[in-house]
Amino acid sequence: MNVRKLWLLVAALVMGGLLAMGADKIKAGFIYVGPIGDYGWTHAHDVARRIVDEQYDWLETVYIESVPEGEVETYIDQLVRQGCNVIFTTSFGFIDGTFAAAQRYPNVIFAHASGFKRAPNMATYMADFYQVYYLNGLMAGALTKTGKIGYVGAFPIPELKRHISAFTIGVREVNPTAEVHVRWIYEWYNPAAAKEATEALIAEGCDVFAFTEDSPTVIQVAAERGLASFAHYSPMYAFAPDYVVSGQLVHWEVIYDDFLVKVHEGVYTNKNLTHVDYWWLLAQKAAELGAEIGMPVNPQYVAPLQGYVIDHPTFGRISVYDLVFVRYNQMADPGITFDPFEGPVYDRKGNLVVPAGMWMSYDHLITMEWAADGVVGPWPGEP
Amino acid sequence: MDLGWLVSTVSRALAFGVPLLWGTLGEIYAERSGVVNLGVEGMMILGAYAGFAVAQTVGVPALGLLAAAVVGAAAALWHAFLTVTLRANQYVSGLALTLFGLGLAGLLGRGWEGKPLRVPLGAITVPGLAEIPVLGPMLFVDQTILTYLGVLLAVILWVVLFRTRWGVVIRSVGESPATADSLGINVTLVRYLCVALGGLLAGVGGGYLSVAYRPSWTEGMTAGMGWIVIALTIFASWDPLRAIWGAFFFGALYHLSFRLQAYVSPELLKLMPYAFAILVLAVSGFGGARWRRRAPGSLGIPYVRGER
Repeated sequence: MNVRKLWLLVAALVMGGLLAMGADKIKAGFIYVGPIGDYGWTHAHDVARRIVDEQYDWLETVYIESVPEGEVETYIDQLVRQGCNVIFTTSFGFIDGTFAAAQRYPNVIFAHASGFKRAPNMATYMADFYQVYYLNGLMAGALTKTGKIGYVGAFPIPELKRHISAFTIGVREVNPTAEVHVRWIYEWYNPAAAKEATEALIAEGCDVFAFTEDSPTVIQVAAERGLASFAHYSPMYAFAPDYVVSGQLVHWEVIYDDFLVKVHEGVYTNKNLTHVDYWWLLAQKAAELGAEIGMPVNPQYVAPLQGYVIDHPTFGRISVYDLVFVRYNQMADPGITFDPFEGPVYDRKGNLVVPAGMWMSYDHLITMEWAADGVVGPWPGEP
Repeated sequence: MDLGWLVSTVSRALAFGVPLLWGTLGEIYAERSGVVNLGVEGMMILGAYAGFAVAQTVGVPALGLLAAAVVGAAAALWHAFLTVTLRANQYVSGLALTLFGLGLAGLLGRGWEGKPLRVPLGAITVPGLAEIPVLGPMLFVDQTILTYLGVLLAVILWVVLFRTRWGVVIRSVGESPATADSLGINVTLVRYLCVALGGLLAGVGGGYLSVAYRPSWTEGMTAGMGWIVIALTIFASWDPLRAIWGAFFFGALYHLSFRLQAYVSPELLKLMPYAFAILVLAVSGFGGARWRRRAPGSLGIPYVRGER
């Protein structure tokens, strides 16, 4: 067999392979920043991947975990070689690598989580929690006895500042003098750091805890001391059934489902993604209130929350338990009628950051650096 | 700083320092016999996984720690086989062990994450001593038995190393294996035993993390502690008693790096424990001959009979 015949054979095999795959098959590759066993961010993305993978016959998925942020392009190359035609990169730090790869592979569709750079073949998506953090804050404000609530944060970036400020606005709505004490661990995942940060907050008198980092450590440490806490991201109720009050749960699958179906149906192509930016919240069911799916508030905490009654400027005398659900419905309803950052909002330095009657714009939300009144502790980058 | 600060800082320093202390004691023995083992992180994570898996299955935390010790020792024997018997490069083999351990534990750990340990190793209150003002809450409550066993072990290991014939044998193998060999000492056996002991103690340190310190399993939960152990071994200048101060001092710095955030820039504080580690290495490097003399003479060099 001469070289030319060999080439023809190879070409025929490749063509046949492509035809056999069918034109409408989608092979989606997922690039994760952490291990899928982290029980946090990456774990949640992988749970979602498996849900959509089982849902559709036309969909095949593959993933690569623990990819260093600077090396994402190499792994994208690898997924493209494996035949992926849709690639999801799930960490903010993948932003530039994904953008560069999108230029290099114009026929592949990219979607980048939590970023802001888009291209004709690159969309962005995010499931955000600030509304749910606000609801958690309402409950935390009612449950603290010392007036000090502890918050363990991963990095002082706008996403966390938004979470903490929304949480604090909730706290102050029901308990105007309570404080939210913040400690940063400068890592998304480091159980030992999260533990010592929690211990430091306990030593300072905090008695209710919330956090944004990727492990259930804060819950476990608080429970050891008999203190209440709020879960983050994954179902963490089982870690301390007597002490986890509520929390936030993510449903990335609703975004992946929507996106992949639209790619499959030809609605999204490699030419029209420049303005495709998912910013999905309670109303789109990308976020859920609770520490366990289907359980918004731990039944053990219903009575204490019903027993904490306040005089609310809008709703009059109302229990915090009822307030949580009134606010929940206002935000979960498709015609959203309330936002935690409804003006007037003052930062902790006394500046008016959201004028009366106004809501924060999307751009303001994703770039916010200020701290809401009631936040105590270091706030790197504070304006 | 009032007493409350002091009490909580010391108490947290002890709790955080435990895995570092156990790991450092083990690495001291391995290095005293002349074998560097950079696989501490890998042995710790394997110990953490094995400890959790066994404690969760059996419901007895002590058995989990035993499993962690066995697995840590087994992993170390692999390093001993490669470096002592096959005379592979100790640094490469150790690094491989770390990568292997992290990978294997991550793989085996699939499905174990997200579950709290049924029966964790609980904190104890030392009867009588806990009643002492200040010192009681500082040292004798909120600690697990491993804190006290670790300190006791350090003392025993110091006595063995510097006050017994066995210690002379171990140190002479690390200083000059050819001399030891000519005196009829089985260099291979001594090195195997010391490296295995190192793995055993590192395994317990890892088991402490998943069975006591934060009783659950998550991938990569050692988060770099193995590397701190390597630095502490040098800081302690291969002396088990100094390892106590090293481990607990590092623990205090680590805790304070969160505690002091209200007053000092958190970015600076985050660096503090590691800046300290680098400082120690720099001092040990520049600090010249005195510190270098403390290092075992044949550290990192495979022994081949008849070669020098």
